[in-house]
Amino acid sequence: MPRSLLNLSPRLRPVFFCAYLATQCVLLFRAQKSPDLVFGFQMFNATSDFKISLFRKVKHRGRARIVPVQDGAWETNDPSGTRHTYRWQDRVHYTRLATLNRFGHAAYGLDAQLFRLQAALDDFVRHLAGDEETLALIAEVDTLKNGREAGHVRLQADRP
Amino acid sequence: MSGLGGTYQRLFGEERDALVLGVLRVSIGALLFLNGMRLVLEFMHSGYFGDYFHMPLIPEPWLPGPTGYALLLGLQAIAALCAFVGIWPREGLLTASSLGLYFLLCDRLQYHNNRYALLLLAFLLAFTPCDRSLLLVRGRQHTLPREQRIAPTFARRLFQIQVSLIYLGSTGGKLLDADWRSGQVLFMRYARAAEQFTNQGHQLPAWVLAIFTSVLFASIAAKAAICSELFIALGIWVPRVRRLALWLGVVFHISIELTANVELFSWVMLAAYFAFVVPEVRERRFEFARGNARAERLARFVALLDWCARFERHPQSSTDAAAFYVTNREGRRASGALGMAQLAEAIPLLFPLWLPLALYAKLTSKRVLTASSA
Repeated sequence: MPRSLLNLSPRLRPVFFCAYLATQCVLLFRAQKSPDLVFGFQMFNATSDFKISLFRKVKHRGRARIVPVQDGAWETNDPSGTRHTYRWQDRVHYTRLATLNRFGHAAYGLDAQLFRLQAALDDFVRHLAGDEETLALIAEVDTLKNGREAGHVRLQADRP
Repeated sequence: MSGLGGTYQRLFGEERDALVLGVLRVSIGALLFLNGMRLVLEFMHSGYFGDYFHMPLIPEPWLPGPTGYALLLGLQAIAALCAFVGIWPREGLLTASSLGLYFLLCDRLQYHNNRYALLLLAFLLAFTPCDRSLLLVRGRQHTLPREQRIAPTFARRLFQIQVSLIYLGSTGGKLLDADWRSGQVLFMRYARAAEQFTNQGHQLPAWVLAIFTSVLFASIAAKAAICSELFIALGIWVPRVRRLALWLGVVFHISIELTANVELFSWVMLAAYFAFVVPEVRERRFEFARGNARAERLARFVALLDWCARFERHPQSSTDAAAFYVTNREGRRASGALGMAQLAEAIPLLFPLWLPLALYAKLTSKRVLTASSA
């Protein structure tokens, strides 16, 4: 008969059983509070859509201005005069968030994608070495929840 | 023994035939391998996930480096392959599923419910005696003799509960969402599908278009989907309706696979249904007329597709009336349409045909009765 360490002893079986079920129940209930419903078995997507437009808050002649980010990219010079290009899609590969200025499907719902977008903005501004100009990155998001307009959301990530 | 003691003993002390668990292991092992290969291809195509935007659920220092990740991906694929072919299969399942769960924790952007479900089911399967049959690496000797297959199967119960939890989680999400309950989500989905179909140059009949873009139809479909999932989640625990619940599940997943992009979800759940097959084998009988070419072809077909070893096959003298007879677990011997229905209820690939065949058999037998009484 095959022997295996995975043959739990009769004493361990109820412990394993209860521990596993308790973990699953906790994860299921916690998932309802999580914006992207992670570990929640929410199998079928809603039919919501969103459109991201990116903007930068930049220093210009001592004042802050909001400028649009064309095609997700911009160029600046660092203090030594070297030119750098920053491209949103170079850092954000996740397709839902990499698509700009076009409506796309909000997999796992709008809350999930807005939550992920805020994280992506925060991540991007942490990786702007050499860009002395950008103060913050702003995403203007148009949302459609299951076919109905659900309003406009503005997300912002300031440089650390 | 008290009722509670009996339940405890049944849950934790039960020892059953583990042959079907081998079928489950081969199915889940194959899906686990495909899931692992997807990650390998993504790594080769897009590079290390940590080099661009990712969202770890664990502290960043716990993430593997690029080389470590590549090695772990390789290990996961090998472990899944071992589970599939039967080399340390349980250890293979545990390694591949644990690594997969770790990868999900490394980046929640990689999280998809179907992947998570597969990994959890593979993890639980590792604690069942799924290493006693279909050890493909052993060739013709792939299955141990019956007395060596009898083993504690308490983790199979946990596996079954996990399947129910997946459906309950999914139903709960829909019930909590007003747009799902009302049918608005499905209404939008159908409308888009119709639009896409038309954009591709196909012409839908006006009445089909009218149905699929009707609010009432979407509302009914939403309620039906929610009720179906709830029925599958709970019905699989009630012996009287289990077969119906599983049949509904099969139809539900086939329709999802045909209409939506859900990665491996449908296959994972269909494979998981093997956990609900009665573990005992050869409790049914298939008799076929020796010398009858069609009956012998059917017998070969049954031998080939009877993965769960449901049937004891017996040739019989061709003087008997019918070309074949099927005797089910309850001892009901039937031929013709009812016999085919009894075959379909036990052969996985024919299972989607079980209910239509059973209904057809019932209908025709009623007609025969009516005609004879007239």
